[in-house]
Amino acid sequence: METPTPAPVVAETPAAPKGRVLLEADGLTKRYEDDTLALNNVSFKVRAGQVFAMLGGNGAGKTTTINIFLNFIDPTDGEARVDGIVTHREPLKAKEKLAYVSENVMLYPNFTALQNLDFFAKLGGRTDYTKDDYRKVLLRVGLQEEAHDRRLKGFSKGMRQKCGIAIAILKDAPAILLDEPTSGLDPKAGLEFSRLLTSLREEGKAILMSTHDIFRAKDVADIVGIMNQGELVMQRTKAELEGEDLEALYVQYMAGYMDEAQASA
Amino acid sequence: MLKLLIAKELREIIGTTKFAVTFAVCAVLLLLAFYVGARNYQVAQAEYDAAVTENLNQMAGLTAWGEIDHRVFLPPQPLAVLVNGIANDIGRTVEMRRRGELRAENSRFNEDTIYAVFRFLDLDFIFTIVLSLFAILFAYDSINGEKERGTLRLSFANAVPRDQYLIGKIIGSFLALVIPLLIPILLGCLLLIAMGIPVDGGEWGRLALILGAGLLYFTVFLTLSVFISALTQNSSSSFLMLLVVWIFAVLIIPRVAVLISGRAIDVPSIDRINYEKSVFQRQQSDDFRQKMQAYFAENRGEGGFDQDFFARFQEQSQTWQDENEAAAEVFNGKLNEDRQNREQVQQRVALNISRLSPASAFSLAASELAGTSLALRNAFIESVNEYKTTYTTFIEEKTGDDNGFVRFSMDDEEEEEPEPIDPQELPQYQFSLPDTGTLLSRAAIDFGVLAIFNVLFFAGAFVAFLKYDVR
Repeated sequence: METPTPAPVVAETPAAPKGRVLLEADGLTKRYEDDTLALNNVSFKVRAGQVFAMLGGNGAGKTTTINIFLNFIDPTDGEARVDGIVTHREPLKAKEKLAYVSENVMLYPNFTALQNLDFFAKLGGRTDYTKDDYRKVLLRVGLQEEAHDRRLKGFSKGMRQKCGIAIAILKDAPAILLDEPTSGLDPKAGLEFSRLLTSLREEGKAILMSTHDIFRAKDVADIVGIMNQGELVMQRTKAELEGEDLEALYVQYMAGYMDEAQASA
Repeated sequence: MLKLLIAKELREIIGTTKFAVTFAVCAVLLLLAFYVGARNYQVAQAEYDAAVTENLNQMAGLTAWGEIDHRVFLPPQPLAVLVNGIANDIGRTVEMRRRGELRAENSRFNEDTIYAVFRFLDLDFIFTIVLSLFAILFAYDSINGEKERGTLRLSFANAVPRDQYLIGKIIGSFLALVIPLLIPILLGCLLLIAMGIPVDGGEWGRLALILGAGLLYFTVFLTLSVFISALTQNSSSSFLMLLVVWIFAVLIIPRVAVLISGRAIDVPSIDRINYEKSVFQRQQSDDFRQKMQAYFAENRGEGGFDQDFFARFQEQSQTWQDENEAAAEVFNGKLNEDRQNREQVQQRVALNISRLSPASAFSLAASELAGTSLALRNAFIESVNEYKTTYTTFIEEKTGDDNGFVRFSMDDEEEEEPEPIDPQELPQYQFSLPDTGTLLSRAAIDFGVLAIFNVLFFAGAFVAFLKYDVR
């Protein structure tokens, strides 16, 4: 099988960009103290109203990329920008424009869903919400009303995930980072999540989502990127992927890199 | 932002079982301490009143002031029952003598030895042992626990300054610990009033300062816990580390400090001092006997042991006795002073080393403010010695001689039937503690030590948390 040539690392999305660039990775490189190269010159842009899906296996560098956007770690080289703000230079300013949902949303177990929402909404700078607003958002993400006043300690992973998504929505930030957001959701909840993502995109949010879920990526993403061993080895628009078998493409890219890695070893 | 973080911390702790347990334990222990303290005070006051009355009663019927057996007693102090300090270890009774040293005897623990084994439940014990452990329990996982639970990552996905987050944690935990503390303390104060314990304005002020020192003390363990929590990645490690630090800080350092100073500075024992005094006294007695023999040999006149000889002999022996007593007083005073000086140096060294432990610093501040510090023993003896002067002058005025020495008389004159003495005429012994300002100035160093611990641990926590990997 012929290994496909990786797409250029810095790539303006070929589809006519309508919104301004809200999330931008510019030559992001991260080398840890033990000399592990977690990211190697990764660049991409996500505009307002776009969903960028990062596909890749474990250790591909997806979460590292998100961690740099959240300033949990500093890049060794390159910059991550949120609405033009360099995250490692002005982290607090950048975070004001970011909402985040982790793979495994963990909230305060002794707080109710509403209390958790209230705390994190205020932490995100939103003090103007009422309880009704919280309830509406929880219903929007699919959390039944009877659970709103219950403590989180009895919640399933899917229910916590919905709360996490509600928190991200409440922040009303222009950019959203989703780290494996559908992990733990049942198929019905996954479908609801896809609809929600679509509506958030329509609201003009720039969404960067890391995922293993190829079908959901193809379904909701405007751009799909494949990461392997810290490199963004492919990024294509939805139009470019039309008629393509993304799963086969993913396997090809991964296999190609595995071949290269084996050859260099 | 800070208000939000404090409110979150408070709400998070208040909703937990550990808060309920802390509240219950604090309420029971503190109320018990106040109640037991108040009862002890009532008993001690009744015993004191009875002892003073009995002391006067046993003088009834006596006709000579020189015959009285007068004792003075250390009155119970209301705050001493809340912070025992050394109040139960030192003697509370002094037998008054116009000559020689005065000694305090009959300590509480000497009379009721069982209490010496387990000691009383007082505020010092509750703060140093119980509350410091609760402070650790509240904050040992304040940072790494949030990381383990995954909430730290979500919190710091927002624009949260780390310094505010840290301060919010500390203040929130502090307030959560103060609530279970202040409610029973306020109830305890009401209990003191209800049980008729005469606490005056100054004592309320000092009690408030003791509580202030207590708050400062457990804040040390809060900031230390947050510091260790920000240094370690998992909560079980931080708990273990804090337990080890607690054992050293609360149990080991104070004891080691006393051992070190005991080794470094040699203080002769009381038995040794008494031995030296008795050797000196024996020497004096031998000298006195030899002088008497010599006097008899030299001055035996023609008329033998006539009345004139006895008068001269009595005068001469009185002079020798006075000289001996003066010399003994100088010698004993020197021995005592030397021992006291060494003891003070030893105490100073022990206390300064022990201040490496916040528990010692708190205990020293609390006992100083309660008037039950090491200074109590000296203050009692000093006040008794001051009273001795008044007492001696009074007795001399009453007896008409300088020492109640019974003179030989060869006359067969009929003496008048003596009148019984009135014990109420005796000058009253009064003991009072220094004023609040003086006690506070003595405790200032320990307040300072506690403040320094707080600043150091907060700075440590701040630096550690700035570098903390929140992922």
